[in-house]
Amino acid sequence: MNPLIESIRDYIRGGQHKASRATKDWSTLVSAQDATRTARAARLFAAVLQEEAAHPTFLPGERIVLTRHCINLPDRYSEEEMSRLRKNAYFHEKGFVFNISPDYASTVQVGLDTRKEEIQARRKKAVEENDTEGIEFLDAARSGIDAVCLLADAYREEAIRLHLDDIAETLTRVPHQGATTFRQALQFIRILHFALWCEGPYHNGLGRFDQYAWPWLKADLEAGRETEESALALLEEFFLTFNRDSDLYVGVQQGDNGQSLMLGGVDRSGNESVNLLTHLCLKASRELRLIDPKINLRVSRQTPMELFAEATELTKIGLGFPQYANDDVVIPGLIDWGYSPEDARDYAVAACWEFIVPGKGMDIPNIAAVSFPAVVDSVLRSTESNSVQSFDAFLQLVRKELFARADQIESDLACVDMLECPFISTLCDGRIEAARDVSHGNVYNNFGVHGTGLAPAVDSLETIKRLVFDERIEALGNLRKYTDQNFRNEEDLLIAIRALPKLGNDEDEPDAIAVRLLNDFADSFAGRVNCRGGIFRPGTGSAMYYITHAKEIPATLDGRLRDEPFPANYSPGLHTRIKGPLSVVKSFTKPNLKRVVNGGPLTIELHDSVFRNDEGVEKVAQLVRFFVMRRGHQLQVNTINRDQLLAAKQDPEHWRHLIVRVWGWSGYFVELDRPYQDQIIQRVEMTF
Amino acid sequence: MPNNPPTGLVFEIREFSLYDGPGIRTTVFFKGCPLRCRWCHNPEGLLAQRELLINTQTCTHCGKCLRTCHFKSCIVCGLCVEHCVNQCRRVCGVKYRVETLCTELLKHQDVFQMSGGGITFSGGEPLMQTDFVVALANRLHEQNIHLALETSGYASLEDYMRAVESVDLVFQDLKHTNPKEHLRCTGRDNAPILENLAWLKTSKKPFVARIPLIPYTNMDRVTLDDFASLLKDAPNLLRVELMPYHATAGAKYHLTGRTFRPGFDDSNLNRQQLFSDACLAPFIAQGLTCRFV
Repeated sequence: MNPLIESIRDYIRGGQHKASRATKDWSTLVSAQDATRTARAARLFAAVLQEEAAHPTFLPGERIVLTRHCINLPDRYSEEEMSRLRKNAYFHEKGFVFNISPDYASTVQVGLDTRKEEIQARRKKAVEENDTEGIEFLDAARSGIDAVCLLADAYREEAIRLHLDDIAETLTRVPHQGATTFRQALQFIRILHFALWCEGPYHNGLGRFDQYAWPWLKADLEAGRETEESALALLEEFFLTFNRDSDLYVGVQQGDNGQSLMLGGVDRSGNESVNLLTHLCLKASRELRLIDPKINLRVSRQTPMELFAEATELTKIGLGFPQYANDDVVIPGLIDWGYSPEDARDYAVAACWEFIVPGKGMDIPNIAAVSFPAVVDSVLRSTESNSVQSFDAFLQLVRKELFARADQIESDLACVDMLECPFISTLCDGRIEAARDVSHGNVYNNFGVHGTGLAPAVDSLETIKRLVFDERIEALGNLRKYTDQNFRNEEDLLIAIRALPKLGNDEDEPDAIAVRLLNDFADSFAGRVNCRGGIFRPGTGSAMYYITHAKEIPATLDGRLRDEPFPANYSPGLHTRIKGPLSVVKSFTKPNLKRVVNGGPLTIELHDSVFRNDEGVEKVAQLVRFFVMRRGHQLQVNTINRDQLLAAKQDPEHWRHLIVRVWGWSGYFVELDRPYQDQIIQRVEMTF
Repeated sequence: MPNNPPTGLVFEIREFSLYDGPGIRTTVFFKGCPLRCRWCHNPEGLLAQRELLINTQTCTHCGKCLRTCHFKSCIVCGLCVEHCVNQCRRVCGVKYRVETLCTELLKHQDVFQMSGGGITFSGGEPLMQTDFVVALANRLHEQNIHLALETSGYASLEDYMRAVESVDLVFQDLKHTNPKEHLRCTGRDNAPILENLAWLKTSKKPFVARIPLIPYTNMDRVTLDDFASLLKDAPNLLRVELMPYHATAGAKYHLTGRTFRPGFDDSNLNRQQLFSDACLAPFIAQGLTCRFV
């Protein structure tokens, strides 16, 4: 990291850029009425960017600009208005388009002036066709582009006034016209990404950055405009832009902001596409040691060992990056779900781990979740002790209950609506041509369903199998009672239960249950069409449900007590005494993961001492490769030190920069709420 | 060789052990050791018999274990383990027959193959169970598994030769060059170790010399020079590995009811000094490859 980058990083980490921020009273703006929802979206977006344009902020020494001024943004609707809207349809989370991966590159190539011309041309056609809705959308999209240009122009003028000549020069070209250099491209992406947050969309993914930004860098290197070193510095500065306003972004916890970047993998035609920018991104992330952007890496059987090793160097520094996705599983999985092979090969992650096709996916990849332990719990509750004759019959009931949950989810989501976001629509394929807001749909309109707490559910079923059906020492009714009473006065039983085979130790019995459960889960959504014409995509992610779902049920038969969380994502239970990472990988790659590629990684926590020397790096890299060879879908390897976490809990000020992986994102440990902190400490190491 | 297949006593099988040889490996820790190194960080590996470990730090003194125990002194029956709510008791030491242990270890044969890894015998001291180790090694070699042996070398030359010949790579630990000092800090004379080492150097078996760097014990220039000259002229020596004393070395002592007495005050150690180039220098001066582990 060069001294300039270091000084900008320190400036941001120290929060000095926040000094020029202000809280704005938007009440008159919000209370004004609009003819349509789209018009409202356009009006508020323009107002926010106008306010931003009035306060350009430059950080000392920076070359890629745009820093948020407004601490708060206007709500699209008041609470009453929103609840009125929610009466007629289901609006997911905040109601905005979010958790998608826009196509920045097409716009960065041609510039916003060209986009505007396209809009104007399309508007003529809409007028001819008397397509009011189309006209309305196109006008809003145009207004959005104008607002973005106005903001960039204001920055340019201020840069001229401050004699920041090179910034002014960059802004003379972009965003009006297409980028011709790597630096212009980065500045352009920054402008677009900045604007998205101001419109309302959140968890704005960064897509396959090393693919779409590479042509500019390649041209610069060939023309001698940049060297590898100068490009790295620019890239690092670009990465820093994702860390300056992120505390203002919407998220469940600080750090949960979806600024995910996907590297590597095959291109749309199936050729390996790792390039110099891929390597520079890994290096930039390693040098900066910041939580954004979140680094993902696509790998496969073909991936050379060197890339695994290089990525493991990043794992080593403990940011929770990269998260790996396996092309060998994800691509065929998406094709089986009806994606075209070209699109399937082009996948990225939306925000955390949900696989999405940039520009084309208007999926809601986290719209619902099924709690596996709750499914087992409710079967246990609804079953008369003597009515089930075999464990297989019990599993049939579990399958039936999974289908019932899927029915419920489908009917709950019979009418899903989304607030219009005309500006982000201009960054999504074919929306201008269609003259429709992306909130009304795009090429892929799938719903993702998380499956949470697989391990506690599998382990509970194993307990039922052993105690009720194999050894016949307990009746189902008794087991129900024990969980209700939180195993009170049943300590011996609790110990015996915890000592039973568990998922994650490469033992056939529990592993076979996991295989079956995930297949049943996939079956339960197979063939269903959602209300937006898409499908339901089951996955193995948990998001924050590993905390919230766990609160919804009493103790579970895996030996988990009431109020204890589930493991995050696709991981062994928190009480499981794990033999080691090889067994974990083996157990968790037995299911047919191609069927659950909504995403959700197997998470392996390694003590930071594994990286004492290069040998550790090489071997962890081999472990990752082993996971890939065994057809795992997604993997997260964390390096962590439990003592550090405990110390950080005691003395947050001293450990301000300690980074941990939470569920699909990394955050600063001391900024997390207590339950999330505690879960991480618990999952780290099962020490005796 | 005895007619009955021997059994072995193992206190841990650790998969994905990183520093015990090439590739991804599983390490088998044999229970029982003739040495009593003051700095030993595996105290549960010392005793050559099964024993009960109690985590006194998580024990809440509920008394349940006492109520379930029928014996005046512990026979390691493990009954109390099953009744401990806090899971702070564990029986350490599992007896294996060669076949059973083989099956367990071969579970990860696929990973060994993919990564160029294998299995490492460590301890404790594997050579306290040489018959078993050799039988196990022969059985694993039938499956083309790469085998490594980590040993203190404290064994009869005959046992040592048999064991070394049954594996592919040896990690030879060396604690001290001076017999008196060796006796003082490990409780044993180093004569058998030096004798075995002398044979090893002529054996053509690839080996790595491992030296724990213990403050105030074996880190002085004279001792390091002695180590270096002891190891020079061994064509089969791959490298020397220095293992700096670790601050958490004493962490497991309370489990075994022992007290950790490294022989010096370890509360204020300078970690940097333990990893200083000065420790590598004597070996490099003799033309040896040397690194920290």
